[in-house]
Amino acid sequence: MTSLGSSSSTSTTEYIVRVPKNTSKKYNIMAFNAGDRVNCSTWTQARMERDMSARKIYGEEETPEGAAGSEFGKKQREEARRKKFGIVTREFKVEDQPWILKVNGKAGKRFKGIKKGGVTENASYYIFTQCPDGAFEAFPVHGWYNFTPQAKHRTLTAEEAEEEWGRRNKVVNHFSIMLQRRLREQERGEEDEDEGEKSGKKKKKGGGRGGDLRIHDLEDELEMSSDDSDSSMGDDGESKPKVKKDAGKGKAKRKKQKSKDNEALEDSDDGDYEGLEVDYMSDESSSEEEPEKGKPVKAEEHPKGIDEESESEEESEEEKQNDEEAKEEEEEEEGKKTPVQMEKKKKKDSSGESDSSDDSDIEGETASALFMAKKRTPPKRAGGRGSAGSSRTGSRPGTPSLDSASTSNTLRAAASKLEQGKRQGPSIDSPAAKKLKMEPSTQSPVPSGKSTPQPQSGKSTPSSSDVQLTEEAVRRYLIRKPMTTKDLLKKFQTKRTGLSSEQTVNVLAQILKRLNPERKNINDKMHFYLTE
Amino acid sequence: MSEKGEVDLTGAKQNTGVWLVKVPKYLSQQWAKATGRGEVGKLRICKKGNQGKPEVSFTLNEELTVIDGIEDKTVSAPREHPFTMQSVGGQTLAVFTETSSDKITLEGVVVQRAECRPAVSESYMRLKRLQIEESSKPARLSQRLEKAVTNNYKPVANHDYNREYERKKKEEGKRARADKQQVLDMLFSAFEKHQYYNIKDLVDITKQPVIYLKEILRDIGIYNVKGTHKNTWELRPEYRHYQGEEKTDE
Repeated sequence: MTSLGSSSSTSTTEYIVRVPKNTSKKYNIMAFNAGDRVNCSTWTQARMERDMSARKIYGEEETPEGAAGSEFGKKQREEARRKKFGIVTREFKVEDQPWILKVNGKAGKRFKGIKKGGVTENASYYIFTQCPDGAFEAFPVHGWYNFTPQAKHRTLTAEEAEEEWGRRNKVVNHFSIMLQRRLREQERGEEDEDEGEKSGKKKKKGGGRGGDLRIHDLEDELEMSSDDSDSSMGDDGESKPKVKKDAGKGKAKRKKQKSKDNEALEDSDDGDYEGLEVDYMSDESSSEEEPEKGKPVKAEEHPKGIDEESESEEESEEEKQNDEEAKEEEEEEEGKKTPVQMEKKKKKDSSGESDSSDDSDIEGETASALFMAKKRTPPKRAGGRGSAGSSRTGSRPGTPSLDSASTSNTLRAAASKLEQGKRQGPSIDSPAAKKLKMEPSTQSPVPSGKSTPQPQSGKSTPSSSDVQLTEEAVRRYLIRKPMTTKDLLKKFQTKRTGLSSEQTVNVLAQILKRLNPERKNINDKMHFYLTE
Repeated sequence: MSEKGEVDLTGAKQNTGVWLVKVPKYLSQQWAKATGRGEVGKLRICKKGNQGKPEVSFTLNEELTVIDGIEDKTVSAPREHPFTMQSVGGQTLAVFTETSSDKITLEGVVVQRAECRPAVSESYMRLKRLQIEESSKPARLSQRLEKAVTNNYKPVANHDYNREYERKKKEEGKRARADKQQVLDMLFSAFEKHQYYNIKDLVDITKQPVIYLKEILRDIGIYNVKGTHKNTWELRPEYRHYQGEEKTDE
């Protein structure tokens, strides 16, 4: 190497470039995406093999050659046949197969390296390495492989993805999609425990929610909400794991039910409930009772939307009291599955009062509020106190049956019942709006803070957003000043936390359970507070 | 084997830095012609003091500038090739090698990317022009034929076909019935090789008339509709042993 140090500012060094002739080693490029932030120096061990899975596709079926089972001239005939039809089969070249790279053993990352075509066609790439003697050696690059990390988490199959895509407008809570899938698998015989735990921990929110939140499918909503509230309520006061498990199981159960019902039910249209007769609804509402822990009302939350907002205040007043009652009953039945059933049946009359109050809380937060007709108001009034727990439903045209079906969330049930009682026919208020409304209300912890808010599930992993629904956050609020559940809910608006109202309710419930704040009755409202 | 697939990570651990250089095709062709130790040229790196941006340039050895295949002697590969340096960006590019014995080694990580460009000169332009001319020639040509192709008369019976036919007739059109034993031997040896045979293939193999052959086959074999379109003959179960074929005479 000669160095010509010319002027003071520049220094030039010369290196000899060699292109070695012996080509026993083939050089390849392993390209990673910038976003994956791969650092090769951190790898402790790695294994790389060709991915031969394509061989089966390319290799023709193996017919025994010669002797038993073979046919004379089979190969030629097959070839002739292929030629006749113009089938061109590409050869299976091992050189072109993708690589599977496993880093750091079984628990480490996995990458798939796919060969990039056209790299050596017009220009050649060379790798210049510096030798100890200072000269550069240039090796031609034989192939370029783009390595991408392989997902270890479960993904939806194509069919499932198609399905979910079709429902994307109806589903509010997207997190539960994977959860449901897992539960589905659970039903098919996988370990319950894992599911329960997983669903409990990760998706307590979703768990509480119980599957997709459907905007239109009232029955689904109701059932789901009932289930949710049931499980969550039932679980109050029990150990967390158990709670989660129950939630999981409850969810599973609900799922089953839901899926069953899904099949049978059609999507509700606005006009569907127009012809329904009042009697039907009133009957149900009168029969429904507080004890329905379920939140059938939940389902009806959605359509409530705007109406709920306007009426929420009033509703909440009325329903708060209902809530109180409902809560008591809920507590009585903690841990029992039957409430779920009951709620399911009597969805309409579920003690949805609590729901309504919740609803009102969440109203502001729900997006699709458009459907609510004003009708809400009158029914709400009327139904509020009167019908034992008939909750909102008012706006929901003729969904008493649906109401009864759903159980779970008491809040929701109460609300829907109230509504239902009032509203009878005039549909419009799309069940969708109502449902949406219901959803949030179920989410919100019992505003009246009657005992522990049942429906709230443990803290599930909230999605990212500016405001996180964490124990820490709740603790801060409660230390600062006493708050009702309603207030708390307001703090964690669904829009900002990214959780659906149901999720929020559940998560908040769990957090409150954990924190075990002290209660104080201020202005006849149950406030929570913490002293540190 | 645990050996297979293990990647040797020494290069990655040492964080060996390499350069990835894109080189024009003609240059790589010239490099392939390098003799001896493979020395192809010199790389000059000019560091501009503290400014940072070093200038890198590659000079091709004199003897390698001659391009084979081009008669025009004025066309030769240029000697000066400045390198355009590029950053790797966020992308991680690692280099791994595969030996013929399927041993994979991680050689290092790319720290610098560069493009080798020729310094523009007259001879380079001419070279490029030649290349373009060559590549622009169409792969398929339509040529004019001097004489029209006259193979396709409309025959009453195809000439060739006629010949075939006559030939077939000449050559034992009705094949002679050979000794039954011999035929059986032939059949058994045939069935040793494959299990299923088409009657036509058997006729071909044994050169026996069809009817005679069929009779023999009916004795020792079964006709098989098998589910596939071709109806094939196979030996009867009592006659076949596919581990080591034994000939059973009737």
